[in-house]
Amino acid sequence: MTIGVTVQRAIHRLRPLVLSGLLLALPFAPSIGKNVKPDPDGLPPHDVKDLRYGDVLFYFFQDDFFDSITRLLAAQQLDRLPNTQGEAELLLGGLYLSLGEHVEAGNIFEKLLNANATEAVRNKAWFYLGKVWYQRGYLQESEHALRQVSDKIQPRISAERYMLLAQLMLRENRYDDAIAALSAWHGPPDWTAYAQFNLGVALVRKGRLPDAIPHLDQVGRMDTSNEELLALKDKANLALGFALLQAQRAADARPILERVRLEGPYSSKALLGVGWADSALGEFKRALVPWLALRKRNLLDSAVLESYLTVPYAYNQLGASGQAAEFYNSAIDSFDAEMKRIDDSIAQIRSGNLLDRLLNDDKKATLTWYWQLKTLPDAPESRYLYQLIASNEFQEGLKNYRELNFMSRNLDSWRNDLSAFDDMLDTRQQAYNERVPKADAVIAATDLDALIKKRVDFESRINEIEQSNDVAALGTVEEQQNWARLKHIEDYLAMHPDDPDLAEMRDRLRLLKGVMYWRLSESFKARLWNERRSVKELEASLVETQKRAVLVKQARQDMPSNTGGFASRVTAVRQRMDQLQQRLAALSERQNRFLQALAIRELEAQKRRIEVYQIQARYELAAIYDKATQAKPKAHP
Amino acid sequence: MNSKHRIVSIMLRGGVLAFAWALSAGSPAAAADAAPPPPAAAVAATQLEAAPAAAAPAGDQAPAEFKTLDQEVQGMKKDVIDLNKDLFVLQEELLFPANTQVAVYVSMDVGAFFALDSVTLKIDNKEVKNYLYTAREAEALLKGGVQELYLGNLKVGKHELVAFFTGKGPVERDYKRGATITFDKGVGAKYLELKITDRVTKHQPEFKIKDWE
Repeated sequence: MTIGVTVQRAIHRLRPLVLSGLLLALPFAPSIGKNVKPDPDGLPPHDVKDLRYGDVLFYFFQDDFFDSITRLLAAQQLDRLPNTQGEAELLLGGLYLSLGEHVEAGNIFEKLLNANATEAVRNKAWFYLGKVWYQRGYLQESEHALRQVSDKIQPRISAERYMLLAQLMLRENRYDDAIAALSAWHGPPDWTAYAQFNLGVALVRKGRLPDAIPHLDQVGRMDTSNEELLALKDKANLALGFALLQAQRAADARPILERVRLEGPYSSKALLGVGWADSALGEFKRALVPWLALRKRNLLDSAVLESYLTVPYAYNQLGASGQAAEFYNSAIDSFDAEMKRIDDSIAQIRSGNLLDRLLNDDKKATLTWYWQLKTLPDAPESRYLYQLIASNEFQEGLKNYRELNFMSRNLDSWRNDLSAFDDMLDTRQQAYNERVPKADAVIAATDLDALIKKRVDFESRINEIEQSNDVAALGTVEEQQNWARLKHIEDYLAMHPDDPDLAEMRDRLRLLKGVMYWRLSESFKARLWNERRSVKELEASLVETQKRAVLVKQARQDMPSNTGGFASRVTAVRQRMDQLQQRLAALSERQNRFLQALAIRELEAQKRRIEVYQIQARYELAAIYDKATQAKPKAHP
Repeated sequence: MNSKHRIVSIMLRGGVLAFAWALSAGSPAAAADAAPPPPAAAVAATQLEAAPAAAAPAGDQAPAEFKTLDQEVQGMKKDVIDLNKDLFVLQEELLFPANTQVAVYVSMDVGAFFALDSVTLKIDNKEVKNYLYTAREAEALLKGGVQELYLGNLKVGKHELVAFFTGKGPVERDYKRGATITFDKGVGAKYLELKITDRVTKHQPEFKIKDWE
């Protein structure tokens, strides 16, 4: 048997909600692409303010909330969000919410939203928080959050907020509150039907059927082609039909129940109800039409189950006790077989791997609070679990179990990385051990202080040259040699001041010295500037060398403690990981047992229900035989 | 009790069951609550009012147990998220220390004239990344996400980065463009942003590299 029934629940529509809506409401929203419908509360695109914040959003926009939150928390810790602190904190709250961490999200929102958030942001945050809490069954917290939302919010959100509050009251059996809230409700047209339906429900529950009738009737008559509204329409007709039947108004109930679509999800219940309406009016032959049709359907449906008794009941009422007995016998056989199948399924579930089989086809890569199981595995017990997986607690519990699995896989993957970190640290240590002697040799061979002193001396010399205007000191080697030669001649001439033969030489010396001095003086300033520039370059190089030397010394000193620091961090996270994995395994087992117990209770309840019908069938059959036995002597013409 | 009476009692139970199903509250966005009450609760109900719209799945203990487990899972998840954060930071500090770290990011503003397919990244004439984008990733960029395309280590000094962008340009034509930057890697981490923007006046995309000081 292939079981591929899809459990469709409108919660899927919540998917884009949690943060997309909230995020767009941020007063400092990130750039929004042209093809993304902007939120009226949002602002136009602008430049990236912090790259790391954009990086967080990159994962967020792919619904990868786990990576997104990891990166956000890391960026916060590394202080990489200097310009986006406010929105980052709000996004963090939203991400916690998206991951189902409603307690943490609530804490952040309460802290943040009471402070300086705009009304639009505050409203949306409270609304989504209230919605998630409602979903998780935290009704008081949900009501608290929803009541923080002001009326200055988009009409659709406002409508949904009021609807959630009303549903919350219904779940808490606070019918008067729900009636008051829904009676005063005004919202968009597509929500009106739901509000009316809920109001009708609250009135019926309060025992005010006459007041409920107009509301349910109006929903039951609405003109729509929308599948969801058609289902609601069926639901309203079914509810009203059965309420009328309960009130002994079978004639009124029948046409209402007939309005339910034959191919819709509520048709079995409606067929059963139509049969009961006919039966209550004494029209047993007519009642057989819907009941016989119903009897051909899946026995898992409680209405179908009941038809196994109502069909022979009608035959009996029509005096066809033979056919009635036949149908009762057939019912007993079917019930026996069904109970056997349920027992087998319970044994199968007890064997322990129900959840893993349920999650077998699940895409495991993502973690979001709006995840839910959509298909059941092809297994005998699956047919009994449709109702169970439609229940909130089971889905939420299964989601928790799935999340625990996700976390376990996440930690496993980090465990591999940690081994790589260990290897890396070992390699680094080895490389350090090899490089240290070389580095030490270089450091030892370099007398930085002497180099610095040389530079200082050099600069002093330049200053002296400048102050003494020693133009020759900056000449080229050839110029300096020529200048020295001239000085030498000048000294010689000075020693022979009265020699007339040297008079011509003195004139020539004066001329040459003048020419030479003129040339040296002409280039002196430029040469001085060049020398000073060289001094500066030398100084810069020395500063850089000093800096590097400090870094090398620092690295040499720090490396062992750095490596050791990393090693102890790796050890510490590994210990945390071990503890978490133990807790994960234990919690996963408890979650498994809890859900398994829910599944078994569901199956046992189904079995008990069949047992009741089984007893009923046997009793009726006995009564027919009894009656037949008593009537036998005078029965034949 | 005669047989008719008994049948009617079953009918009532069945009726209540069906009715309880029918009466579950629903709304366009919260029909999850419209799940039918489980049979155990419904069968036990003999009064219309007693049929809860969204009863506990099996007995009163279930919600309490569910909540206890739920809260423990919440705490566990918080601890795992915190550990992930610490591991992430440890990994970054260990593999890409700030003094050698170079990170290259990709951002897209608007994107009317260019649909990104891939980016090839070369640093100092050596290919360090060739990344092909999924539709989902490209969409995330368009929405304002910024991708950390490359995280690596470089020595202090001058370096050259060249990025080649391929995709669909205006009128769906294949489009390939490059952008280059020479940057100084100092002792702190270096961040570069590859920016794809629309040049509206020319109806062309524009590719720039921003050096984040």
